[in-house]
Amino acid sequence: MLTKYITTFTVITALLFTAMGCGSSMVIQDVDFSQSIESVLTPDSDQTVHDQRFGIKFSIAKILEREGMQSVDEVRLIRNRAGYYFITADGFNNVYVFEPAERELKKKRIIEISSQGISNPAFNQRDRFIELVDRVSGQTYNIDHTGRR
Amino acid sequence: MNFKNPYLKTYTLFLALFFIFASSALVAQQSDFQIQQDFRAELAALNERVELAVSTQELEELQQELVSLRNTYSEHSAIINAAIYPDTFEASVNRAEENRAAFAERYEVIEQLNERVDELSAEMDVFRDRINQMTLESEDLQDQIERSAASESRQAALIRQYRQNIELRDSFVSDFLAELLMRYQTMDRSNQEELSETTARMDDNPLQVIKTIIAEYINVADQSSALETPDYLGMRAQHGYFSDVWERIGERLVNTFDPERPVQAKQEVEDLLAAWLASVDNRLWNSLTTAFNQNNIQLGPFTSPQTFNTALNNYVDGGIEISLESNSEEDYRIYRNFRDFWNNTVKASWGEALVDGNILSQSEITAIDIKLNNWGEAAQPSSRLMFILFLVSIAIIIGLIVLLVMKRR
Repeated sequence: MLTKYITTFTVITALLFTAMGCGSSMVIQDVDFSQSIESVLTPDSDQTVHDQRFGIKFSIAKILEREGMQSVDEVRLIRNRAGYYFITADGFNNVYVFEPAERELKKKRIIEISSQGISNPAFNQRDRFIELVDRVSGQTYNIDHTGRR
Repeated sequence: MNFKNPYLKTYTLFLALFFIFASSALVAQQSDFQIQQDFRAELAALNERVELAVSTQELEELQQELVSLRNTYSEHSAIINAAIYPDTFEASVNRAEENRAAFAERYEVIEQLNERVDELSAEMDVFRDRINQMTLESEDLQDQIERSAASESRQAALIRQYRQNIELRDSFVSDFLAELLMRYQTMDRSNQEELSETTARMDDNPLQVIKTIIAEYINVADQSSALETPDYLGMRAQHGYFSDVWERIGERLVNTFDPERPVQAKQEVEDLLAAWLASVDNRLWNSLTTAFNQNNIQLGPFTSPQTFNTALNNYVDGGIEISLESNSEEDYRIYRNFRDFWNNTVKASWGEALVDGNILSQSEITAIDIKLNNWGEAAQPSSRLMFILFLVSIAIIIGLIVLLVMKRR
């Protein structure tokens, strides 16, 4: 009888520990973070952009400083399947790739596109990459968070 | 074209490849964001044009443009769906098409109403012209009657013509009122509102025409000096018909043709109707008094249908009372005079107009008829022959009794 109780207790305890162990390392795989359409955002006087639809708000001051520009009229923002943010604007030389973290965007990569600056850019979400279009020259660039493809 | 030339063949192939490449490059250069922006802008513009469209033809053209918009953007529906979530490409275009269809239906109704208003306007024009013509004829006849005072026969002929003119006008107006009655009696509020939106552009709507007609009737009643009791009775009957029609459709007419101020518009017509009645009555009571007087019937004074009825009843009641007291030949003559005038003129010639003009009701006429019968019985003088025969009979009976007594002795 005692042996039966001990066996039952041991099995239940083992199951509980297994469940707790599973909870602490739960990972959902194959998440698609992709944003179907780019967001076109207008910075305010503090160089802050706010994407109401996808719920993100941040300052572009450091990016402008990096590009050597005082201001831009519009910022283009898109997120790829992996969850990285791609940012550029008219006249930028680069596309900035950011990784979201707790209350911050961490630079993942700066992808150089053109030393002349991209004219009237647009991001399109494609199956395996982000398509950057220079709508003045008509040139397109396929990029992802690792760089140009 | 000679494709046997290898250079030309190569050139053509190169050109074709260039175009394929160029067109694919063009497609690639598009921005998804721009596509959905363009779609939204074009759809919004089409929706706005639908709202501002002023004809069914314009709305039909917009239907074609909506079909074209659907065809152009259907290949990008996935992008658009993502951009306008929770709305969708299909739903937004369908909504625009339904909205356009609703506007088209509304415009169809408005265009039908416009046609009705055009018809109404044309009818009103014809009616106004005819009334004006009749008024001119009437005024001309009135002038001629006044000028021809020297010749009695000519004046009589002109008065006859004048009466015919008034009768013709009455008949014409009655037809017009019957038409209005038929058209507006059953009209519901939504129809009134729809029609009222489009009738503002009518120069002469039925309401204005009614006012013109009443004003003209007042004019005729005030100015006609050659008319007699039957003419005024006819006018009162016409007023009665007019008032009846107004009571039935007046509310609908003011809501349709003067929706901004329906209460005031209704009051204006009712004031005109009252003024018309006062003008007719002013002549009618004098004329009736004269007609009774000319037939040696002295009625008490009367200035309304009620006092006229009272005067008639008082006259008959008085006659009955006197006849019961004196039972003379003279009373009987007075009775016969009234009976003849009552039966041959009042009832036979004026009866219908008296009832139609709300002067005497059928029951009031019947009540006087019953009293007249009583008067006849009371007024008939009893015969002396019966009295003589009675005396002779008694004398014969006495004679026979005397004879019998004498024989027994």
